[in-house]
Amino acid sequence: MGEQEFQDALDDLEAGAAAAADDSALGEAAAASSHPSVAALVERFGAAILQHRVLSGDEHVVWIPAARVLEILRWLQGDPAQRYDYLADLTAVDWGGGRPLEVVYQLWSIPHRRALRVKATVALNDLEIDSVCSIWNTANWLERETWDMFGIRFRGHPDHRRILMPDSYAEGFPLRKDFPLRGRFTRAEQTRRALATSLEDHYSAEELKIRDDVEEHGRAAGEGAQGMAG
Amino acid sequence: MGLSLPTAPSGEASFLTTRLDFVLNWARRGSLWPMPFGTACCAIEMMATAASKYDLARFGMERMSFSPRQADLLICAGRVAYKMAPVLRRIWDQMPQPKWSISMGACASSGGVFDVYSMVQGIDTIIPVDVYIPGCPPRPEGLIYGILMLQEKIKGESLTNPTLREEDPERTGRPNLPDGVIDEVAVPYGNSTQQNRVSGLVQTTALARPSDRQP
Repeated sequence: MGEQEFQDALDDLEAGAAAAADDSALGEAAAASSHPSVAALVERFGAAILQHRVLSGDEHVVWIPAARVLEILRWLQGDPAQRYDYLADLTAVDWGGGRPLEVVYQLWSIPHRRALRVKATVALNDLEIDSVCSIWNTANWLERETWDMFGIRFRGHPDHRRILMPDSYAEGFPLRKDFPLRGRFTRAEQTRRALATSLEDHYSAEELKIRDDVEEHGRAAGEGAQGMAG
Repeated sequence: MGLSLPTAPSGEASFLTTRLDFVLNWARRGSLWPMPFGTACCAIEMMATAASKYDLARFGMERMSFSPRQADLLICAGRVAYKMAPVLRRIWDQMPQPKWSISMGACASSGGVFDVYSMVQGIDTIIPVDVYIPGCPPRPEGLIYGILMLQEKIKGESLTNPTLREEDPERTGRPNLPDGVIDEVAVPYGNSTQQNRVSGLVQTTALARPSDRQP
């Protein structure tokens, strides 16, 4: 990449908010009728379905307001005609340039063999959204990861902690566009902090305990199913 | 017999010490028990080294020790995240003397291509290292060559050198190098010099957001 091209790329990144006007990268607008679930969503929630776009031919994306995430996703999971019973992924996107972050729900309906991507935007000064742990249990760790990497808080999450970075990590949220590649502290400071971490400070004795499975299985085998239940 | 003692040099004390050194070093280098600290693809090559084709047992490493208390060679094979650093340091502290360590592969030795926020830039910032093995990952021959080099190093050790086995309890769980040196060895190189620590690739006003920092 030439010097000029590199500079242009930098400028484009810088002008993130302006580049938002050209949203062709977000996919093509499509008729709601092209996806049965989108049609049903529009019929039921009307204006709450902010946008519907299609990427790569058959990837349907709908945008919904962050305030109504819990309600709409619960319906998508529970309605017999939708049954999105599998939350394949939950993550976020930072487009940079001060644009709001997007929380992404990648849904899959096992009975209907149908995929749907749902997005909700959260403003940088109010990074909070309802937790969907009550709908899909798998959201627990996915939301912790999204908090860890992007700093989005999930209201009502049962175990709101970092999951990848250490609990004492104080440099911010690594996947944000404004996060420097090498972190904010010097290498010496990072090393010092890493070594000062005491596992016992952040994890309960129960979590750190290595379960003596051999012993338990041995006992269960000896006592039969009763022992297993006990 | 394969064991032949060297001729005695002059002087009483050195006569005894030299022979003891020789026998000790011979026994130590011939029965290194490695503690495999495998974190990534290098560990696959390490496993291949221990398997039948390359057969690490030929060099006295019959037994991989999965307990640091019964090991005297730490082989760190793979990248080490900062989250893993206290674990590596604790394992090293738990190993009894005499002990040695091998840093296997580019990532363990220097951070490799992972010049990022989460990765230790060379395990020598955490623990002392005797032999660095380059490669991404090194082939089993590479690891064996490194081990042979370590055996050469052990050959030259002497009981009369007090610094070899020196360990300061105060340093337990602390970085292996002074702050300035850690920063120096982790200086950016290659295309990553486009980045800087203060702002990342792009300076944005959002950088100053207080919410970016955790209490």
